[in-house]
Amino acid sequence: MYLAWKEIKHEKLRYGLIIGMILLISYLVYILSGLAFGLAQQNTEAIDSWGAQSVILDKDANTSLQQSMLTKSQTDKMTLTKQESYVGQSAIVAKEANHAKVSAQFIGLDWDQFIGKKLVLTSGHKPTKANQVVVDDGFKTSNYKLGDTIKFNSNADTYKIVGFTHNAKIDIAPVVYGDLSTWRTLKKLPDTFVASGVISQNAQYKPGVDQLKNYSVAAFINKLPGYSAQNMTFTFMIAFLMIISLVVIAVFLYILTIQKIPNYAVLRAQGVPSRVLVSNTINQALLLVFGGLALGVGLTALTAALLPAGVPIAFNWPILAVVTVGILLTGVIGALIPVKLILKVDPVSVIA
Amino acid sequence: MENTNTIEMHHIDKTFGHDTSKIQVLKDIEFTAQRGEMSLVIGPSGSGKSTFLTIAGGLQTPTAGEVRVEDTPLTAIPVKKRDALRLNKIGFILQAYNLVPFLTVREQFRFVDRIKGATHMTEDELMALLDDLGIRDLINKYPSELSGGQTQRVAIARALYPNPEIVLADEPTAALDSERVTVVGELLRDLAKKHNKSIIVVTHDMRLKQFADHIYEILDGNMRQAS
Repeated sequence: MYLAWKEIKHEKLRYGLIIGMILLISYLVYILSGLAFGLAQQNTEAIDSWGAQSVILDKDANTSLQQSMLTKSQTDKMTLTKQESYVGQSAIVAKEANHAKVSAQFIGLDWDQFIGKKLVLTSGHKPTKANQVVVDDGFKTSNYKLGDTIKFNSNADTYKIVGFTHNAKIDIAPVVYGDLSTWRTLKKLPDTFVASGVISQNAQYKPGVDQLKNYSVAAFINKLPGYSAQNMTFTFMIAFLMIISLVVIAVFLYILTIQKIPNYAVLRAQGVPSRVLVSNTINQALLLVFGGLALGVGLTALTAALLPAGVPIAFNWPILAVVTVGILLTGVIGALIPVKLILKVDPVSVIA
Repeated sequence: MENTNTIEMHHIDKTFGHDTSKIQVLKDIEFTAQRGEMSLVIGPSGSGKSTFLTIAGGLQTPTAGEVRVEDTPLTAIPVKKRDALRLNKIGFILQAYNLVPFLTVREQFRFVDRIKGATHMTEDELMALLDDLGIRDLINKYPSELSGGQTQRVAIARALYPNPEIVLADEPTAALDSERVTVVGELLRDLAKKHNKSIIVVTHDMRLKQFADHIYEILDGNMRQAS
């Protein structure tokens, strides 16, 4: 470590550039993984907040809550416990005369069931009358506030915002929580339809109706429109970035090692064991990667703090740990490639 | 009776290349270095002086013959043991590039301590050695801030710092003026005489002749004792 540290201290510009390169790579990987996780989270925030284990849908709805509809004759055969809740979903455009339109997802609830009871508000109260809704905090970015009356799609009915809730997004759109009768109005459905589906906290819940099927939450989420494709795109971007980083870091460390061969030859001539030189090279790589990573984390934290609230960025410690270990391993592998060169250093070259 | 031989080389041949490109650089060399003596090996460029030095120091093995350092047969021990022998018994003074560029003069010595896990000289002893070589003021300088002669003197000091039994020097005075040649020559001779070390110098520099106990000449791979 002594030689490694002394060299970095003496060659500040050269090693500063390498640390800068690792900083930029790690910054890019952190930001990309933050955006990927943030976006993925916005697909499922509301579902996650419900603490659901399974979703009961019409088996011909292709695992889509929006496409599923449960009739009264079906729900009459079901036995709902405290762990089940009806949900009606409909894509809407919310509008108010003085504010921008917001594309949102309407979620109709029976407020006496567990989702309605569990819902945590950041301000206001839960609906107590007809035509009252609770909306996601995302509406605040378009300056909506408590007491505003909004309309949905081309319907003439107005709805009053009586509460705000946090982290309530589905399909990257903010959620508007209302009641199931409003959902029927938006879908232009008669009273014979009860909901889109049933959300259950019981993974083994059996609907007892042939036409209905129980899906695990993971299977349901993976079928959300664009969710898997988006996650796969980000995963591949990050994976390719890691591979390219490995090549770039390895090339830099290889060139650095080649430049040091004459010094290593002198040290070998004096009897300094190869293992000292090898451990020096690996230690130096670790110092550089640690330095770059630490600065990358700092820059990422600063960026996340300065980004507008609308940017979907979120950090997940296990993902960050995997990315960090990945970059660290990349650096070690990069440092191990020129080890063969060090072991082959010929001390005679500095004399003969 | 104690064996005073530090290096013994018997029937040493060294050949490079194969078939038609085969060149024999050293032919049937017989050489012995003893404690308390300074040996000078002279010869024109390409005569095989440096090859002789690398074989004597265990940096490469001869094609034929036997090398013994302090009674240890170099050709019969593994690389790790040869490294340890060089680190503990031999001090090399090389022509160039022999200082670590990112360590100050002081750190060059401390690095030796770190590698060997022991402090070889007190600060006063180190300063006295640097004083002898006229480089005390350079203690906090980096090699890039030194002239060729200063670099060479620091390299000499570093080779002597761990108090090796044998010093192998390759053109140690190449970059020095006559005054400094005398200083280095006297220093090497004193090391041999006062500290009972074995000094072998490979050089073109005839100004060092006056300090040597034995002078050998290598010509076309053959070694003979010169007058």
